[in-house]
Amino acid sequence: MNILSINDISKKYPGFKLENISFDVAKGTIMGLIGRNGAGKSTTLKAILNMVHADRGRVSYFDLDLKENERAIKQRIGFAGGEIDFYKKKKIKDILNITKRFYDDWDEELCIKYMKMFSLDENKTPSELSSGMKVKLNLVMALSHGAELLILDEPTSGLDPVSRDELLEIFKHLKKQGVTILFSTHITSDLEKCADDITYIRDGKMIYTGSISDFVGTGASLENVMIEQEREAFYEKFTD
Amino acid sequence: MKNLLIKELRLSAIPLTYIFLTFALMTFIPGYPILCGAFFFCLGVFQSYQNSREANDILYSVLLPVSKRDVVKGKYLAAVVLQMVAFLLCAACTIVRMVLLSDAAVYKANALMAANLVYLAFVLLIFAAFNFFFIGGFFKTSYGVGKPFIVFIVVNFVVIGIAEALHHLPGLGWTNVLGFSNTGVQLMILAAAVIIYAAATIISCQISQNRFEKIDL
Repeated sequence: MNILSINDISKKYPGFKLENISFDVAKGTIMGLIGRNGAGKSTTLKAILNMVHADRGRVSYFDLDLKENERAIKQRIGFAGGEIDFYKKKKIKDILNITKRFYDDWDEELCIKYMKMFSLDENKTPSELSSGMKVKLNLVMALSHGAELLILDEPTSGLDPVSRDELLEIFKHLKKQGVTILFSTHITSDLEKCADDITYIRDGKMIYTGSISDFVGTGASLENVMIEQEREAFYEKFTD
Repeated sequence: MKNLLIKELRLSAIPLTYIFLTFALMTFIPGYPILCGAFFFCLGVFQSYQNSREANDILYSVLLPVSKRDVVKGKYLAAVVLQMVAFLLCAACTIVRMVLLSDAAVYKANALMAANLVYLAFVLLIFAAFNFFFIGGFFKTSYGVGKPFIVFIVVNFVVIGIAEALHHLPGLGWTNVLGFSNTGVQLMILAAAVIIYAAATIISCQISQNRFEKIDL
Protein backbone atom coordinates (compact mmCIF):
# COMPACT_ATOMS: atom_id res chain seq x y z
CA MET A 1 0.00 0.00 0.00
CA ASN A 2 1.26 3.47 -0.89
CA ILE A 3 1.24 6.06 1.86
CA LEU A 4 2.16 8.85 -0.52
CA SER A 5 1.68 9.14 -4.28
CA ILE A 6 3.06 11.99 -6.34
CA ASN A 7 1.84 12.18 -9.90
CA ASP A 8 3.31 14.41 -12.55
CA ILE A 9 4.21 17.38 -10.33
CA SER A 10 5.57 20.35 -12.27
CA LYS A 11 6.46 23.82 -11.10
CA LYS A 12 8.04 26.62 -13.11
CA TYR A 13 10.10 29.41 -11.54
CA PRO A 14 12.13 32.03 -13.36
CA GLY A 15 15.37 30.14 -14.03
CA PHE A 16 14.25 26.76 -12.68
CA LYS A 17 11.70 24.12 -13.62
CA LEU A 18 10.55 21.09 -11.69
CA GLU A 19 9.22 18.73 -14.31
CA ASN A 20 6.94 15.72 -14.16
CA ILE A 21 7.96 14.36 -10.79
CA SER A 22 6.13 11.11 -10.04
CA PHE A 23 6.87 8.56 -7.34
CA ASP A 24 5.21 6.48 -4.64
CA VAL A 25 6.27 5.87 -1.07
CA ALA A 26 5.19 2.47 0.25
CA LYS A 27 4.00 1.97 3.82
CA GLY A 28 6.71 1.12 6.33
CA THR A 29 9.62 2.04 4.07
CA ILE A 30 12.28 4.72 4.11
CA MET A 31 12.75 6.65 0.91
CA GLY A 32 15.56 9.08 0.24
CA LEU A 33 15.06 12.01 -2.07
CA ILE A 34 18.49 12.66 -3.51
CA GLY A 35 20.15 15.09 -5.85
CA ARG A 36 22.86 17.69 -5.72
CA ASN A 37 22.28 21.15 -4.21
CA GLY A 38 19.66 23.03 -6.21
CA ALA A 39 18.35 19.91 -7.95
CA GLY A 40 14.80 20.52 -6.72
CA LYS A 41 14.55 18.31 -3.63
CA SER A 42 13.22 21.00 -1.29
CA THR A 43 10.83 22.32 -3.93
CA THR A 44 9.50 18.80 -4.39
CA LEU A 45 8.98 18.41 -0.64
CA LYS A 46 7.29 21.81 -0.44
CA ALA A 47 4.96 20.86 -3.30
CA ILE A 48 4.18 17.62 -1.47
CA LEU A 49 3.26 19.67 1.62
CA ASN A 50 1.21 22.23 -0.34
CA MET A 51 3.68 24.95 0.64
CA VAL A 52 4.34 25.71 -3.01
CA HIS A 53 1.63 25.40 -5.61
CA ALA A 54 2.46 23.02 -8.37
CA ASP A 55 1.47 24.19 -11.84
CA ARG A 56 0.40 20.65 -12.61
CA GLY A 57 0.11 17.29 -10.95
CA ARG A 58 -1.55 15.58 -8.02
CA VAL A 59 -0.40 14.63 -4.53
CA SER A 60 -2.31 12.07 -2.49
CA TYR A 61 -1.72 10.61 0.95
CA PHE A 62 -3.45 7.47 2.19
CA ASP A 63 -5.40 7.53 -1.12
CA LEU A 64 -6.77 10.96 -0.22
CA ASP A 65 -6.20 13.98 -2.43
CA LEU A 66 -4.09 16.59 -0.60
CA LYS A 67 -5.99 19.65 -1.79
CA GLU A 68 -9.34 18.26 -0.73
CA ASN A 69 -8.22 16.63 2.53
CA GLU A 70 -5.40 18.88 3.75
CA ARG A 71 -6.48 19.05 7.41
CA ALA A 72 -7.16 15.32 7.76
CA ILE A 73 -3.88 14.43 6.05
CA LYS A 74 -1.81 16.79 8.21
CA GLN A 75 -3.19 15.03 11.28
CA ARG A 76 -1.41 11.90 10.07
CA ILE A 77 1.92 13.26 8.87
CA GLY A 78 4.85 15.12 10.38
CA PHE A 79 7.44 17.42 8.86
CA ALA A 80 10.89 18.40 10.06
CA GLY A 81 13.39 20.63 8.35
CA GLY A 82 16.97 20.24 9.46
CA GLU A 83 17.77 23.91 9.80
CA ILE A 84 14.27 25.26 10.34
CA ASP A 85 13.25 26.08 13.87
CA PHE A 86 10.06 27.69 15.04
CA TYR A 87 9.78 30.11 17.91
CA LYS A 88 13.42 29.69 18.82
CA LYS A 89 13.12 31.98 21.87
CA LYS A 90 10.06 30.26 23.34
CA LYS A 91 10.36 27.43 25.83
CA ILE A 92 9.88 23.99 24.30
CA LYS A 93 7.06 23.25 26.75
CA ASP A 94 5.17 26.34 25.56
CA ILE A 95 5.56 25.29 21.91
CA LEU A 96 4.44 21.75 22.71
CA ASN A 97 1.47 23.00 24.76
CA ILE A 98 0.18 24.96 21.78
CA THR A 99 1.07 22.35 19.14
CA LYS A 100 -0.75 19.51 20.89
CA ARG A 101 -4.05 21.40 20.84
CA PHE A 102 -4.23 20.92 17.07
CA TYR A 103 -3.92 17.13 17.01
CA ASP A 104 -6.78 14.75 17.73
CA ASP A 105 -4.44 11.86 18.52
CA TRP A 106 -1.80 13.66 20.58
CA ASP A 107 -0.36 11.22 23.13
CA GLU A 108 1.11 13.11 26.09
CA GLU A 109 2.75 10.00 27.56
CA LEU A 110 4.40 9.26 24.24
CA CYS A 111 5.60 12.86 24.04
CA ILE A 112 7.19 12.62 27.50
CA LYS A 113 8.72 9.28 26.53
CA TYR A 114 10.35 10.69 23.37
CA MET A 115 11.46 13.86 25.19
CA LYS A 116 13.29 11.64 27.67
CA MET A 117 14.59 9.27 24.99
CA PHE A 118 16.05 12.21 23.03
CA SER A 119 17.30 13.92 26.23
CA LEU A 120 15.32 17.07 25.47
CA ASP A 121 14.71 19.54 28.29
CA GLU A 122 11.28 21.15 27.97
CA ASN A 123 12.50 24.26 29.78
CA LYS A 124 15.06 25.01 27.09
CA THR A 125 14.35 27.08 24.00
CA PRO A 126 15.07 25.83 20.43
CA SER A 127 17.83 28.46 20.19
CA GLU A 128 19.66 26.56 22.94
CA LEU A 129 19.56 23.30 20.98
CA SER A 130 22.16 21.92 18.59
CA SER A 131 21.11 21.15 14.98
CA GLY A 132 20.67 17.48 15.84
CA MET A 133 18.54 18.25 18.88
CA LYS A 134 16.36 20.57 16.79
CA VAL A 135 15.63 17.71 14.39
CA LYS A 136 14.82 15.53 17.39
CA LEU A 137 12.43 18.15 18.74
CA ASN A 138 10.61 18.20 15.40
CA LEU A 139 10.51 14.41 15.51
CA VAL A 140 8.98 14.51 19.01
CA MET A 141 6.24 16.81 17.75
CA ALA A 142 5.57 14.55 14.77
CA LEU A 143 5.69 11.27 16.67
CA SER A 144 3.57 12.46 19.60
CA HIS A 145 0.57 12.84 17.35
CA GLY A 146 1.15 9.42 15.87
CA ALA A 147 2.38 10.55 12.46
CA GLU A 148 2.32 7.62 10.06
CA LEU A 149 4.57 9.43 7.60
CA LEU A 150 7.54 11.67 8.39
CA ILE A 151 8.72 14.08 5.72
CA LEU A 152 12.16 15.41 6.54
CA ASP A 153 14.11 18.03 4.62
CA GLU A 154 17.87 17.50 4.94
CA PRO A 155 17.60 16.20 8.52
CA THR A 156 21.21 15.06 8.67
CA SER A 157 22.84 18.11 7.07
CA GLY A 158 25.15 19.93 9.42
CA LEU A 159 25.23 17.11 11.97
CA ASP A 160 28.42 15.54 13.23
CA PRO A 161 28.97 11.86 12.26
CA VAL A 162 27.88 10.55 15.67
CA SER A 163 24.65 12.57 15.70
CA ARG A 164 23.97 11.52 12.09
CA ASP A 165 24.45 7.90 12.95
CA GLU A 166 22.22 8.29 15.99
CA LEU A 167 19.48 9.87 13.88
CA LEU A 168 19.68 7.12 11.28
CA GLU A 169 19.32 4.54 14.06
CA ILE A 170 16.19 6.40 15.19
CA PHE A 171 14.84 6.23 11.63
CA LYS A 172 15.43 2.47 11.55
CA HIS A 173 13.73 2.11 14.94
CA LEU A 174 10.73 4.12 13.71
CA LYS A 175 10.53 2.05 10.55
CA LYS A 176 10.29 -1.09 12.66
CA GLN A 177 7.35 0.53 14.41
CA GLY A 178 5.61 1.00 11.06
CA VAL A 179 6.42 4.67 10.49
CA THR A 180 7.13 5.60 6.86
CA ILE A 181 9.88 8.14 6.22
CA LEU A 182 10.65 10.31 3.22
CA PHE A 183 13.75 12.42 3.60
CA SER A 184 15.78 14.57 1.29
CA THR A 185 19.53 14.53 1.53
CA HIS A 186 22.67 14.94 -0.48
CA ILE A 187 24.58 12.71 1.93
CA THR A 188 24.09 9.47 0.05
CA SER A 189 25.97 7.34 2.59
CA ASP A 190 23.12 8.01 5.03
CA LEU A 191 20.70 6.33 2.66
CA GLU A 192 22.79 3.21 2.30
CA LYS A 193 22.54 2.78 6.05
CA CYS A 194 18.78 3.00 6.35
CA ALA A 195 16.78 3.59 3.16
CA ASP A 196 14.92 1.05 1.03
CA ASP A 197 14.21 3.27 -1.97
CA ILE A 198 15.44 6.44 -3.56
CA THR A 199 14.06 9.08 -5.86
CA TYR A 200 16.84 10.85 -7.71
CA ILE A 201 16.29 14.35 -9.07
CA ARG A 202 18.64 16.29 -11.32
CA ASP A 203 17.98 19.81 -12.63
CA GLY A 204 14.32 19.51 -11.68
CA LYS A 205 13.83 16.24 -13.58
CA MET A 206 13.34 12.82 -12.07
CA ILE A 207 16.17 10.49 -13.06
CA TYR A 208 15.19 7.42 -11.08
CA THR A 209 12.73 6.11 -8.53
CA GLY A 210 12.91 2.64 -7.06
CA SER A 211 15.04 0.48 -4.84
CA ILE A 212 18.60 1.45 -4.03
CA SER A 213 19.92 -1.98 -4.94
CA ASP A 214 18.43 -1.82 -8.46
CA PHE A 215 19.96 1.62 -8.97
CA VAL A 216 23.40 0.85 -7.63
CA GLY A 217 23.84 -2.74 -8.73
CA THR A 218 26.35 -4.93 -6.99
CA GLY A 219 29.66 -3.84 -5.62
CA ALA A 220 29.24 -0.10 -6.15
CA SER A 221 28.28 2.59 -3.69
CA LEU A 222 25.36 4.95 -4.16
CA GLU A 223 27.72 7.89 -3.84
CA ASN A 224 29.99 6.65 -6.62
CA VAL A 225 27.08 5.88 -8.96
CA MET A 226 25.54 9.28 -8.31
CA ILE A 227 28.83 11.14 -8.79
CA GLU A 228 29.46 9.23 -12.02
CA GLN A 229 26.01 10.12 -13.34
CA GLU A 230 26.34 13.76 -12.33
CA ARG A 231 29.76 13.92 -13.98
CA GLU A 232 28.38 12.49 -17.23
CA ALA A 233 25.50 14.95 -17.14
CA PHE A 234 27.94 17.78 -16.55
CA TYR A 235 30.13 16.78 -19.49
CA GLU A 236 27.10 16.42 -21.75
CA LYS A 237 26.01 19.92 -20.82
CA PHE A 238 29.58 21.18 -21.19
CA THR A 239 30.08 19.72 -24.66
CA ASP A 240 26.65 20.84 -25.97
CA MET B 1 -10.28 28.35 14.96
CA LYS B 2 -10.18 28.53 18.76
CA ASN B 3 -6.81 26.77 18.74
CA LEU B 4 -5.43 29.14 16.13
CA LEU B 5 -6.62 32.10 18.19
CA ILE B 6 -4.91 30.69 21.30
CA LYS B 7 -1.78 30.10 19.24
CA GLU B 8 -1.83 33.70 18.04
CA LEU B 9 -2.40 35.18 21.49
CA ARG B 10 0.00 32.94 23.42
CA LEU B 11 2.75 32.16 20.92
CA SER B 12 2.74 34.86 18.24
CA ALA B 13 1.82 37.93 20.29
CA ILE B 14 4.67 39.41 22.29
CA PRO B 15 4.29 40.99 25.77
CA LEU B 16 4.78 44.42 24.20
CA THR B 17 1.48 44.01 22.34
CA TYR B 18 -0.35 43.57 25.62
CA ILE B 19 1.59 46.40 27.31
CA PHE B 20 0.65 48.68 24.41
CA LEU B 21 -3.04 48.12 25.23
CA THR B 22 -2.45 50.61 28.02
CA PHE B 23 -2.07 53.34 25.40
CA ALA B 24 -5.87 53.43 25.61
CA LEU B 25 -5.23 55.53 28.74
CA MET B 26 -4.04 58.30 26.42
CA THR B 27 -7.76 59.03 26.08
CA PHE B 28 -7.32 60.99 29.31
CA ILE B 29 -4.49 63.23 28.12
CA PRO B 30 -5.71 66.79 27.64
CA GLY B 31 -4.32 68.94 24.82
CA TYR B 32 -3.04 65.89 22.97
CA PRO B 33 -4.27 64.15 19.78
CA ILE B 34 -5.74 61.24 21.73
CA LEU B 35 -6.28 59.11 18.61
CA CYS B 36 -2.51 58.53 18.67
CA GLY B 37 -3.25 56.01 21.46
CA ALA B 38 -5.04 53.80 18.88
CA PHE B 39 -2.04 54.16 16.57
CA PHE B 40 0.42 53.17 19.31
CA PHE B 41 -1.70 50.11 20.09
CA CYS B 42 -1.49 49.14 16.39
CA LEU B 43 2.27 49.58 16.66
CA GLY B 44 2.21 46.86 19.34
CA VAL B 45 0.38 44.45 17.04
CA PHE B 46 2.85 45.31 14.26
CA GLN B 47 5.70 44.34 16.61
CA SER B 48 4.05 40.93 17.05
CA TYR B 49 3.98 40.47 13.29
CA GLN B 50 7.67 41.31 13.10
CA ASN B 51 8.41 38.88 15.91
CA SER B 52 6.34 36.05 14.45
CA ARG B 53 8.02 36.49 11.08
CA GLU B 54 11.42 36.02 12.73
CA ALA B 55 9.99 32.97 14.52
CA ASN B 56 8.91 31.30 11.24
CA ASP B 57 5.33 31.47 12.47
CA ILE B 58 3.76 31.22 9.01
CA LEU B 59 5.68 28.04 8.23
CA TYR B 60 4.84 26.60 11.66
CA SER B 61 1.17 27.45 11.13
CA VAL B 62 0.80 25.96 7.65
CA LEU B 63 2.34 22.70 8.85
CA LEU B 64 -0.35 22.38 11.51
CA PRO B 65 -3.48 20.45 10.55
CA VAL B 66 -5.33 23.55 9.45
CA SER B 67 -6.04 25.02 6.04
CA LYS B 68 -4.12 28.02 4.75
CA ARG B 69 -7.37 29.99 4.76
CA ASP B 70 -7.75 29.28 8.48
CA VAL B 71 -4.19 30.48 9.15
CA VAL B 72 -5.18 33.86 7.69
CA LYS B 73 -8.49 33.92 9.54
CA GLY B 74 -6.69 33.18 12.81
CA LYS B 75 -4.41 36.20 12.30
CA TYR B 76 -7.40 38.49 11.65
CA LEU B 77 -9.35 37.05 14.56
CA ALA B 78 -6.45 37.67 16.95
CA ALA B 79 -6.15 41.27 15.71
CA VAL B 80 -9.89 41.78 16.16
CA VAL B 81 -9.85 40.35 19.71
CA LEU B 82 -6.94 42.60 20.70
CA GLN B 83 -8.57 45.59 19.01
CA MET B 84 -11.82 44.96 20.84
CA VAL B 85 -9.96 44.93 24.17
CA ALA B 86 -8.25 48.19 23.21
CA PHE B 87 -11.59 49.63 22.07
CA LEU B 88 -13.32 48.68 25.33
CA LEU B 89 -10.51 50.31 27.31
CA CYS B 90 -10.83 53.45 25.18
CA ALA B 91 -14.62 53.31 25.64
CA ALA B 92 -14.26 52.97 29.43
CA CYS B 93 -11.91 55.98 29.54
CA THR B 94 -14.28 57.92 27.26
CA ILE B 95 -17.26 57.21 29.49
CA VAL B 96 -15.29 58.41 32.54
CA ARG B 97 -14.44 61.59 30.67
CA MET B 98 -18.03 62.10 29.46
CA VAL B 99 -19.68 61.35 32.79
CA LEU B 100 -17.28 62.41 35.51
CA LEU B 101 -14.88 64.81 33.84
CA SER B 102 -17.08 66.72 31.38
CA ASP B 103 -16.75 69.88 33.44
CA ALA B 104 -13.01 69.55 34.07
CA ALA B 105 -11.24 72.78 33.15
CA VAL B 106 -8.38 71.01 31.36
CA TYR B 107 -10.81 69.35 28.97
CA LYS B 108 -12.93 72.47 28.47
CA ALA B 109 -9.84 74.39 27.40
CA ASN B 110 -8.79 71.55 25.10
CA ALA B 111 -8.28 72.70 21.51
CA LEU B 112 -7.91 69.17 20.26
CA MET B 113 -10.37 66.32 19.91
CA ALA B 114 -12.53 65.50 22.92
CA ALA B 115 -13.22 61.96 24.06
CA ASN B 116 -16.76 61.14 22.97
CA LEU B 117 -18.59 58.71 20.71
CA VAL B 118 -17.13 60.36 17.58
CA TYR B 119 -13.66 59.74 19.02
CA LEU B 120 -14.54 56.06 19.48
CA ALA B 121 -15.78 55.95 15.89
CA PHE B 122 -12.40 57.23 14.72
CA VAL B 123 -10.63 54.64 16.91
CA LEU B 124 -12.51 51.98 14.96
CA LEU B 125 -11.60 53.62 11.64
CA ILE B 126 -7.91 53.46 12.60
CA PHE B 127 -8.28 49.77 13.46
CA ALA B 128 -10.12 49.23 10.16
CA ALA B 129 -7.22 50.90 8.32
CA PHE B 130 -4.76 48.66 10.18
CA ASN B 131 -6.64 45.51 9.21
CA PHE B 132 -7.14 46.58 5.63
CA PHE B 133 -3.80 48.15 4.80
CA PHE B 134 -1.35 46.48 7.17
CA ILE B 135 -2.64 42.92 7.61
CA GLY B 136 -3.99 42.88 4.05
CA GLY B 137 -0.63 44.16 2.79
CA PHE B 138 1.29 41.63 4.86
CA PHE B 139 -0.51 38.75 3.14
CA LYS B 140 0.62 39.96 -0.28
CA THR B 141 3.93 38.30 0.58
CA SER B 142 3.41 36.74 4.05
CA TYR B 143 6.79 38.12 5.14
CA GLY B 144 6.99 41.82 4.23
CA VAL B 145 5.85 44.02 7.13
CA GLY B 146 7.64 47.32 6.43
CA LYS B 147 5.82 48.56 3.32
CA PRO B 148 2.29 47.72 4.50
CA PHE B 149 3.00 49.38 7.84
CA ILE B 150 4.20 52.57 6.12
CA VAL B 151 0.99 52.60 4.04
CA PHE B 152 -0.99 52.17 7.26
CA ILE B 153 0.94 55.00 8.98
CA VAL B 154 0.07 57.40 6.13
CA VAL B 155 -3.63 56.42 6.17
CA ASN B 156 -3.67 56.52 9.99
CA PHE B 157 -2.38 60.09 10.16
CA VAL B 158 -4.77 61.20 7.43
CA VAL B 159 -7.61 59.77 9.58
CA ILE B 160 -6.24 61.50 12.70
CA GLY B 161 -5.87 64.75 10.72
CA ILE B 162 -9.48 64.55 9.52
CA ALA B 163 -10.70 63.77 13.05
CA GLU B 164 -8.79 66.68 14.55
CA ALA B 165 -9.88 69.10 11.79
CA LEU B 166 -13.54 68.07 11.72
CA HIS B 167 -14.78 70.03 14.76
CA HIS B 168 -13.10 73.20 13.51
CA LEU B 169 -15.23 73.16 10.35
CA PRO B 170 -18.36 75.34 10.34
CA GLY B 171 -21.39 73.44 11.63
CA LEU B 172 -19.42 70.45 12.89
CA GLY B 173 -18.51 71.74 16.33
CA TRP B 174 -20.93 69.19 17.82
CA THR B 175 -18.49 66.41 16.95
CA ASN B 176 -16.32 67.65 19.82
CA VAL B 177 -18.86 67.87 22.67
CA LEU B 178 -17.67 66.96 26.13
CA GLY B 179 -20.89 65.49 27.56
CA PHE B 180 -23.96 63.81 26.15
CA SER B 181 -25.43 66.43 23.83
CA ASN B 182 -25.96 65.28 20.23
CA THR B 183 -25.73 61.69 21.43
CA GLY B 184 -28.13 60.46 18.76
CA VAL B 185 -26.10 61.67 15.81
CA GLN B 186 -22.86 60.62 17.51
CA LEU B 187 -24.28 57.12 17.94
CA MET B 188 -25.09 57.05 14.23
CA ILE B 189 -21.50 57.97 13.42
CA LEU B 190 -20.27 55.25 15.79
CA ALA B 191 -22.63 52.73 14.15
CA ALA B 192 -21.34 53.73 10.70
CA ALA B 193 -17.76 53.22 11.97
CA VAL B 194 -18.68 49.77 13.30
CA ILE B 195 -20.03 48.85 9.84
CA ILE B 196 -16.92 50.23 8.10
CA TYR B 197 -14.66 48.38 10.57
CA ALA B 198 -16.49 45.08 10.08
CA ALA B 199 -16.63 45.46 6.29
CA ALA B 200 -12.95 46.47 5.97
CA THR B 201 -11.87 43.56 8.18
CA ILE B 202 -14.01 40.92 6.46
CA ILE B 203 -13.15 42.10 2.93
CA SER B 204 -9.45 42.34 3.79
CA CYS B 205 -9.54 38.86 5.34
CA GLN B 206 -11.12 37.37 2.22
CA ILE B 207 -8.62 39.10 -0.07
CA SER B 208 -5.75 37.89 2.15
CA GLN B 209 -7.08 34.33 2.16
CA ASN B 210 -7.12 34.30 -1.63
CA ARG B 211 -3.65 35.85 -1.82
CA PHE B 212 -2.18 33.47 0.76
CA GLU B 213 -3.54 30.45 -1.10
CA LYS B 214 -1.40 31.43 -4.07
CA ILE B 215 1.79 32.27 -2.18
CA ASP B 216 4.68 29.82 -2.44
CA LEU B 217 6.38 29.54 0.94
